[in-house]
Amino acid sequence: MTPSIQLSVSYDYPVAQVWQALTNKVAMSEWLMPCDIEPVVGHHFQFKTKSYPGFSGIVDCTVLEVVENELLSFSWSGGSLKDTKVTFRLQPDGDKTILDFEHSGFEGLLNKLIVRRILANGWNTKILVDFLPKYLAKI
Amino acid sequence: MSDIFKALADPTRREILLMLAEHPNSVNNISKHFNMTRPAVSKHLKILQASNLVGMEMDEEDGRQRNCFAQLHALKEVEDYLGKLEAFWKDKLSGLGSYLAKNKQP
Repeated sequence: MTPSIQLSVSYDYPVAQVWQALTNKVAMSEWLMPCDIEPVVGHHFQFKTKSYPGFSGIVDCTVLEVVENELLSFSWSGGSLKDTKVTFRLQPDGDKTILDFEHSGFEGLLNKLIVRRILANGWNTKILVDFLPKYLAKI
Repeated sequence: MSDIFKALADPTRREILLMLAEHPNSVNNISKHFNMTRPAVSKHLKILQASNLVGMEMDEEDGRQRNCFAQLHALKEVEDYLGKLEAFWKDKLSGLGSYLAKNKQP
């Protein structure tokens, strides 16, 4: 088991409006970060924000799944994160919308940090396969 | 400044660290587990300690016993990073709510 970020939020607006805010680049650029997203599977796009040491300010993304009014996911690579995945799931709740959000796929980050800090010497199988999952299950 | 890689170059020390990563343990138990003398284990522990990979404290009940625990800063770093990322998304998803309110459709 590796960790993921999971958030559930309820919005007082119908699914179609939330979907629009997630898939329209003008909307997404306003509430998230400047980007050129299109709700088309395989579309490559970027978020552009302020850079800081260790982060160029650019997040590279590829749209992975699009189900209108239900599901949007895209890959997310930038800074310490490589090939992580961001998923938005929408569910109608009367006139409201429940958004289930997940950011997952941090194995690469774990490897990078651990390799940098304690491994770096070709010692990685046991800690990554056996012990790390146990540790992470406790987080 | 001790060399962390030198500390991890030895397979026994790696095994000790992995054992301690699962749960803290006493020097006595470690020597039993690895079928080693206490001085031999202490020597390994000293090297791990010098690299800040392992910490030691006196046993609360038995002052002659020392308990050892793994110090895994890399994992702490991961936790901190993910904590910040979660805060970022919370903030953005709350911003999505404000966006929806502002751009309300009839």
